[in-house]
Amino acid sequence: MKISILYGTETGNAEMLAEDIQAELDAAHDVTCDNLADTDPTALDPTRFYLLVCSTYGDGELPASAQPFAEAIDKAGPDLSNVHFAIFGLGDSEYHETFNGGPKRLAELMIARGARQIGDRIAHDASGPDLAEDIAFPWAEQVLAEAEERLGAPA
Amino acid sequence: MTGKIAIVGAGPSGCFLAQALLKAAPDLEVDLIDALPVPYGLVRYGVAADHQGTKAVTRQFARVFERQGARFFGNLCIGRDISLDDLRAAYDVVVLAAGMSVDNRLGVPGGDLEGVYGAGRITRALYEHPDAEALPDLGSHPLIVGNGNVAIDLLRLLAKQPEELAGSDLGPGPSDWLARSGIETITVTGRSPAARAKFDPVMIKELAKLGGVSIRVIGAGEAPDDEAAKRLDALAVIDGHGDGPRKIDFRFELTPAEVLGAAGKVTGMRFSTAAGDAQHIACSSVLTAIGFGPADDLPREALIAAAADREAGALAPGLYATGWFRRGPRGTIPDNRADAQALAGRILAEISASPAKPGRGLFDGRPGIVDYDGWCRIDAAETAAPSQGRCRIKIPTRTGMTMAAIEGATSR
Ligand SMILES: Cc1cc2nc3c(=O)[nH]c(=O)nc-3n(C[C@H](O)[C@H](O)[C@H](O)COP(=O)(O)OP(=O)(O)OC[C@H]3O[C@@H](n4cnc5c(N)ncnc54)[C@H](O)[C@@H]3O)c2cc1C
Ligand SMILES: Cc1cc2nc3c(=O)[nH]c(=O)nc-3n(C[C@H](O)[C@H](O)[C@H](O)COP(=O)(O)O)c2cc1C
Repeated sequence: MKISILYGTETGNAEMLAEDIQAELDAAHDVTCDNLADTDPTALDPTRFYLLVCSTYGDGELPASAQPFAEAIDKAGPDLSNVHFAIFGLGDSEYHETFNGGPKRLAELMIARGARQIGDRIAHDASGPDLAEDIAFPWAEQVLAEAEERLGAPA
Repeated sequence: MTGKIAIVGAGPSGCFLAQALLKAAPDLEVDLIDALPVPYGLVRYGVAADHQGTKAVTRQFARVFERQGARFFGNLCIGRDISLDDLRAAYDVVVLAAGMSVDNRLGVPGGDLEGVYGAGRITRALYEHPDAEALPDLGSHPLIVGNGNVAIDLLRLLAKQPEELAGSDLGPGPSDWLARSGIETITVTGRSPAARAKFDPVMIKELAKLGGVSIRVIGAGEAPDDEAAKRLDALAVIDGHGDGPRKIDFRFELTPAEVLGAAGKVTGMRFSTAAGDAQHIACSSVLTAIGFGPADDLPREALIAAAADREAGALAPGLYATGWFRRGPRGTIPDNRADAQALAGRILAEISASPAKPGRGLFDGRPGIVDYDGWCRIDAAETAAPSQGRCRIKIPTRTGMTMAAIEGATSR
């Protein structure tokens, strides 16, 4: 399958995880990995499956590198109805009221433009005992299996 | 691309710079040199003990050594153990990422009284920096001067009950000091109106989780814009929070005029208000969180003044600066990342390698250097048997750390 991993980050944790996921999937799939800051939401490709990896800042807001992407969705209002994505969050349960709020907002923005979310929005907790990749790899495997069914023929 | 690069300071700025350089040019020799036997700068000794999530950024930094090939030379102070000139002669590029650690002085009469302490001094002691001075007795009513995140960190730690520090890495000595502090009231004062205070609103909202306090916000005023409204909203959330025994008062628009004392000890502070009146607040100690200046191991002011392109961090041919050392003591960890990534581009465009330079050969035969494997042994010793609800028990002395670096987990 053709997969695009897109990350939104401030201190780089989401970027590191995105690269880890890319390395994990590289052998079996065609995988690219880019910063959301360098991604144009009007140019998303319906033949690819998008894996978003995004942290949360401020008070449940998007990290700096995801903000231009969100603003561009708001402004351009692209039709994303053939775009499939799954989203993984990096957060910190110390911020319990707004835990994983950034990815929630990002998913809502995409869905409002018609994009189809695959799988649950799950998150790594920086205050928890697990390593991000230990949660993200099984998540990626599962959403990929679902996506292969929905997007049809594996590449 | 080849070349030898020495980064002075293994804090977040130095680590992010090494990460960006080696990502773009994996064959560079990048050495991170730190005056301490341990890496990560203020992530270890400044970021609050109860904010472990923020410290998780060190997982990225560990990869810089473990996978990207950067080398660590700890326990080596540039300007003291080795001169900056010798370092520059040995490397193609030297980058100063040494941060800023010296507490700014209050600069008012009485500012040097016993009982006036800088936030850096207190946080270093709390977080067991090996060069920290002992934790002082703050009395029953410390007053904090400053409204930045460091002031709020300090307030939160002083206000916490022992069980609220579970999961942190606050050491047994500092934990005991906090538990026995006898603090009844903490007053936090800022020079600006609340609308322009420097703290991050989430830092204020976090105070609403404190169990043993009763918080009052006095004179927060009006919000002229949206940014300010976020700050005032956060203050409104905590105003009136709790009915615990420890009182916390926030006050604004108070410019320090004098620290008052009797028999050499602090008894209060005099401020001037926005209207120009004098206001006295009684207190037993004064904690200043009003910024930091450079240490004197490196001639920072002269280097910055003579910089070829200060904004870009280019000081002189082959000499650069980044992070707090370049910008001053402002900005969070993400700001340093952006700064380091921009500087990496500039260095890669300008570096010219002289293969004859010895690089890390300069340190050959020097005793006492702690390398990355040594840090891993220190780290293992600190995290091997964390007890009493702590995720790590730091080794507080340089000797203890260097011994653990050699002997490993058995040396404690
Ligand atoms: C109390 C406090 C709490 C903070 N909390 C947060 C927070 O929660 N979140 C956040 O994002 N930011 C926080 N910050 C800000 C953050 O710590 C800084 O933005 C960041 O650490 C600056 O990175 P730096 O690498 O430039 O400097 P530093 O982290 O200070 O690192 C400098 C390194 O250089 C070394 N060094 C100094 N002189 C020499 C020399 N002559 N030779 C060799 N080595 C030398 C030092 O030992 C140190 O390891 C906090 C700051 C403070 C003071
Ligand atoms: C100032 C600040 C605010 C944060 N706010 C939230 C938040 O509201 N909700 C959350 O789940 N995580 C929050 N976090 C935690 C980060 O999302 C978490 O540390 C993450 O690993 C950072 O990933 P990044 O390096 O990719 O940006 C916050 C962290 C900081 C430093």
